[in-house]
Amino acid sequence: MTTLLDSFVRSHIPSSAEALRGEVKAFLRSWMADRPAHVRARSWSGFDAAFSRALGERGWIGLTLPRDHGGGGADAFTRFVLVEELLAAGAPVAAHWIADRQSAPLILHYGTEAQREHFLPRICKGEMYFCIGMSEPNAGSDLASVRTRAVRDGDDWLLSGQKIWTTYAHKSHYMIALVRTSGGPQDRQAGLSQFLVDLSLPGIDIRPIADLTGDAHFNEVFFDEVRLPADALVGTEGAGWAQVNAELAFERSGPERIYSSIVLLDAWVRHLANLPNAAEHEARLGLLLARMAVLRDMSIAVTARLAAGESPATEAALIKDLGTELEQDIPREIGEALAADPSAPPDEELLRTLAFVSQVNPAFSLRGGTREILRGMIARGLGLR
Amino acid sequence: MSNDLLEPFQRLLDDVSPPEAVRRTENEDGAPAIWAALRDSGFVDALVSEEHGGAGLSPAEMAPLLIAAGRHLLPLPFGETMAARAIAAGAGHRLEDAGPVLLWPLDREGRARSIVPPIRGGADLALVQQAGRATLRRVVAGGRDGFGFVTAALDTGSAPIASFELAEDSLLYWAAALTVAAMAGAMAGVLDMSIAYVNERQQFGRPLGKFQAIQQQISVMAERVAMASVAAQGVLARPLPGPAALDVAVAKPVIDAGASIVCAAGHAAFGAIGITAEHDLSLFTRRLKRGLLAFGGAQPWAKALGRARLAQAGGTSVDFIRALQHG
Repeated sequence: MTTLLDSFVRSHIPSSAEALRGEVKAFLRSWMADRPAHVRARSWSGFDAAFSRALGERGWIGLTLPRDHGGGGADAFTRFVLVEELLAAGAPVAAHWIADRQSAPLILHYGTEAQREHFLPRICKGEMYFCIGMSEPNAGSDLASVRTRAVRDGDDWLLSGQKIWTTYAHKSHYMIALVRTSGGPQDRQAGLSQFLVDLSLPGIDIRPIADLTGDAHFNEVFFDEVRLPADALVGTEGAGWAQVNAELAFERSGPERIYSSIVLLDAWVRHLANLPNAAEHEARLGLLLARMAVLRDMSIAVTARLAAGESPATEAALIKDLGTELEQDIPREIGEALAADPSAPPDEELLRTLAFVSQVNPAFSLRGGTREILRGMIARGLGLR
Repeated sequence: MSNDLLEPFQRLLDDVSPPEAVRRTENEDGAPAIWAALRDSGFVDALVSEEHGGAGLSPAEMAPLLIAAGRHLLPLPFGETMAARAIAAGAGHRLEDAGPVLLWPLDREGRARSIVPPIRGGADLALVQQAGRATLRRVVAGGRDGFGFVTAALDTGSAPIASFELAEDSLLYWAAALTVAAMAGAMAGVLDMSIAYVNERQQFGRPLGKFQAIQQQISVMAERVAMASVAAQGVLARPLPGPAALDVAVAKPVIDAGASIVCAAGHAAFGAIGITAEHDLSLFTRRLKRGLLAFGGAQPWAKALGRARLAQAGGTSVDFIRALQHG
């Protein structure tokens, strides 16, 4: 434990990174002004290509990627500031979100120079969107049991199988898919590889799945002998497992795991500010803010490690588990507080926002690794197992 | 984090404050040998400015040591003495010959700000604050409380030794901050013990730590320990004169909530042996449960934080928590 504890050293965002904040706020003021809270609360699932392109024009996608690949060449703290402000405003980040957080770092680390030159500048402009092909009907948390398979056919690969829960596959240009290239499920992590799959190719069928609020953001994706060129392989054949774990570590390391319910929280704050008996709710509000403030400090501590070139995967898992717990508690606490006071009902916008967040909040601790999987990782980091 | 100081300090704690020494102090009221070692180490003057003969370090630099003191169950008012010396030195009073000093914040009417009095820890003096005035007063033993600690009582018959002006509630914020920093350390101590135990204790033919249910519990403990550690660093991040109200308002609710979880999970891991008098687990958990009762508990602090947020309802909660943070 000593090691894990010692890595949470409180740090601070350097002023060079803070310098970006005002500019981001000003940009968001003009874009977000007339969007109601229940729309802004969809942030992660808000797909808006025009918004993503506008971010790209400002150099705010791929902010930490090298400049010669179209990136911003900035450090992890600058990205922290940008992402924090995007999420606080409830910006619709879905279109570029996965490409920015996972796919671009993956291509940068494991791709060929040609792949970097092709994909990274387009991602950074906010013009090329990615989805993640990991889960399958029989491979959720147990990713090593994927059955989708790519087999060699001359220089090409033929891809067959099925992916599911693929967020925005129907609006993305590419999927990075984890598939089997040798062996069978009994070989577990061995024999898996990652491919850049052009979703416009023949043989691909994408079918949306409605979520419990009626929104349609995730899909099932079928591959029927899809012919992939040799350069669709990303990284090393057979090394897909290690690459996917690195990819998930990028995904878990940011400030994203604190703020999924912040639009709702701030809508409730505005409601309380007009309430004569607001004092009755101060402690409930304060408890949520205290947790958020400390989690933010923890996230900055991990960002400092990232900025120093480390890969604090266990620490990121720990923050994600704590952060999603807060994100899930916020709608429950606010629901209890509002429900207890029918004489001061919330307006339609706040009630809709609450309805949305309280229905989707189970997803907060599913996406990017479930609570149970993360706790297993932490236990291993502590020397158990 | 200043590891240059932390490592020698931890070595000192290993030497002078092992669990058996801690247990002895609970029975004997005070630990003169531990105090002497601490005094001679110079750490107690760390916060006193260099012009007054101290080391001129910041609370942030001492935070890791204060957490470590809790993790090692240091049975003395170490942080309190350090703060009292710095506060008094700032007002022109030197306490270098005073021994351990307690912090004793009162409200304007002279009532204690905590339902549990300070543990005496060998102290003969307390820095007492009422409204804008601090006085150095004598304390005596107040008897053994329900948690098994010898408490202190203000010696109301004796005349104040020194008196000076001090910004109202400064001592309350210091005392609460030091309490939660020690709690964060004690939580880490419970985790240390629990990890060692579940890796060693065999049931159903394998170590407890191999069971997923236990792994999940220990992971939850580790999360709360890490969170408490960062909260403790945060409440001590402000330079002298020291913590402000909203610093405590962030840290106390977070650390209290975590302490309850860690105590429950730690005792669950140990089972019946953990609730025996001779087992060391309760050296930590008794301190934690007592800490939950100190300086108002979590609720009034959380309320103050919520009130501050509502006073500036216009911005985002990110703006609000950013403005709270410093350093």
